[in-house]
Amino acid sequence: MARILTIEDDAITAREIVAELQASGNEVDTVGDGREGLARALTGGYDAITLDRMLPGLDGLAVVTELRRAGIDTPVLMISALSDVDARVRGLRAGGDDYLTKPFAPEEMAARIEVMLRHRRAQVPETALRVGDLQLDLIARTAQRNAATLELLPIEFRLLEYLMRNAGHTLTRTMIFESVWGYHFDPGTNVIDVHIGRLRRKVDAGNATPLIHTVRGCGYTIRVPHG
Amino acid sequence: MAERTQNVRRDLPGARWRSSTVRLIAIYGVFFLAWSVVLVAALNWQTTQYLDGVVGEILEQRVHYLARVDRDNLPSMMAATNQLDLRGVMYFGLFDASGAYESGNIDRPPEGLAPDGQIRELPRGLQTTSGERNARALGVALRLKSGELLVLARYTSVADRIGAMTRSALIWALSLLLIPGLLGGFLLSRGPFQRVRNIETAIQPIMRGDLGARLPVSGRRDEVDMLAAIVNRMLDRIERLLGEVKGVSDNIAHDLRTPLTRLRAQLYRLQTESDPTDPRTAMLERCIVDTDGLLDRFRALLRISELEDLRRRAGFGEVDLSDTLRRVHELYTPLAEDKGVTFALTVAEALPLQADAHLLIEALSNLVANAIKFTPHGGTVELRASRTPNGARVDVLDNGPGIPPAERGAVLQRFHRSESGRETTGFGLGLSIVAAIIRLHDFRLEISDNTPRGARLTIYCWPHGASDPA
Repeated sequence: MARILTIEDDAITAREIVAELQASGNEVDTVGDGREGLARALTGGYDAITLDRMLPGLDGLAVVTELRRAGIDTPVLMISALSDVDARVRGLRAGGDDYLTKPFAPEEMAARIEVMLRHRRAQVPETALRVGDLQLDLIARTAQRNAATLELLPIEFRLLEYLMRNAGHTLTRTMIFESVWGYHFDPGTNVIDVHIGRLRRKVDAGNATPLIHTVRGCGYTIRVPHG
Repeated sequence: MAERTQNVRRDLPGARWRSSTVRLIAIYGVFFLAWSVVLVAALNWQTTQYLDGVVGEILEQRVHYLARVDRDNLPSMMAATNQLDLRGVMYFGLFDASGAYESGNIDRPPEGLAPDGQIRELPRGLQTTSGERNARALGVALRLKSGELLVLARYTSVADRIGAMTRSALIWALSLLLIPGLLGGFLLSRGPFQRVRNIETAIQPIMRGDLGARLPVSGRRDEVDMLAAIVNRMLDRIERLLGEVKGVSDNIAHDLRTPLTRLRAQLYRLQTESDPTDPRTAMLERCIVDTDGLLDRFRALLRISELEDLRRRAGFGEVDLSDTLRRVHELYTPLAEDKGVTFALTVAEALPLQADAHLLIEALSNLVANAIKFTPHGGTVELRASRTPNGARVDVLDNGPGIPPAERGAVLQRFHRSESGRETTGFGLGLSIVAAIIRLHDFRLEISDNTPRGARLTIYCWPHGASDPA
């Protein structure tokens, strides 16, 4: 269970963020003011922070700047009404770890928080990834399932690597597009789906247990099926 | 931009002659010339009239004097009077009744000169003993009592010489007054012309969208300054109005973000908390799908307004167009294959250009996504980069329904939806985003037909000047 601090001045948005994060088993504190939010964050003790960009008292950008100056490296997800490239760059440069633009879907926010929390736990660089009988060698850039080598295109390898690095966590299409391709625009409805589809046909070919799963209305995840 | 400046320079000679100062000087010159000609002609005419009058009087006096002289003394008198005439311009002739020569320095009576003692003009001159002379002359003929004919004539060369003098005076006046005047006018016109060129330079950033820029005003308070001041006041007004419009739409957009966030979040929570077997859950899910569509469109609109607002070119750098095309091809190949559409890529060598790499990919992705969307199963979409003398160009060709010529301008505007079958959602906004990115780069987007069917969208990747519609 992780402890999360939500700094958000809109009460209803804050309530929904809290509800969504609690639903995935986190303990959430919420603060509606920038200054108080900074004071809470400075105590440490949080595993992640959601931070509204525009706040009464102290601006979100100032909060994250102060936090980083004080040496607190708690991952921060910035939530902003400012969506342009400059605002994103400023937010990330000030010390934010991820940037989400309003209006957003709560499951997108929760998925990003989960990935941030996972990265915080796994700091050691990995040379190989494993999900069930699927193995990815990050040095040799090869993939094997059940001792059989998978013929992957470079883009498929990067996609699989991203899924496997976050195995067990839901990844939204936007997150996949931003992380694997590195772009921040809407590529069209099903571009990511067809890429996943191709990868799935190679990874889950034949009678193998399916590892890549669709999270309905949200995105994809790779994991060994329960039971 | 360099190319554009060159165009202006090439126009220069013609443009200079169209300058208002030069035109005024030229009109003034023509009037001056016409008036000078009239003035000199009048002077010339009056002088000639006066001198002809004087010559006529002299002739009249002499003819009447000679008429009274005794017939025998007449030849000697005539010779004597002739000697008084130093310049040799006076001629005499005495002819018998049949017109035969008797004495004097005229060979025969001038044609058409009636013997009535009246001064007449002799257009064909005189036939004199010293030979033929066809200069203008005045003459008088008188029938003496003896029946003989006395003819006196005088060339009007003095009057003619004065005419020639006035004519040369006119030419001098023209060369001394008109030519320096014209030259001065031409030099004067250079000042305003240079200022117009400065204004043209100053207006470039405004045309590119920097509404904060203003035209230069010299402080001389002349016509050009007045004009520049009027344009500047107009720009103030436009800037304020656009600012207000943008302020309003930004506020609307900003005010919508929070309620949309709440709406989406609450719908989602309702859905997660409701019983999956309840038919209302499925309805909620459809609500969420619709809301997501709404959010996508809302984001696309904000994106367009951001792009239109984007003045910075900080993201600009050297981009390899061929490499960009390869990335787009890699991104969309699975989508095309799933649809049964052949997706061909034609790139040759590296094509470096100045662009924002991410925005260029976004624009090309939109074009390719559209092309695949509208191409039927079994069709072909081609992405092609090539080099032209001016710079690189990209062609996106599809086998879809094509875009009718009448709609080609409109499809680049917001919210446009073609009536000819391009009905898939998001089309209008996708091309609007492309148009905004192309404008930001100062490139040009052209829509034409693909053969045998489909659309061809071409991006000409070099600066076109802000005046060109992107």
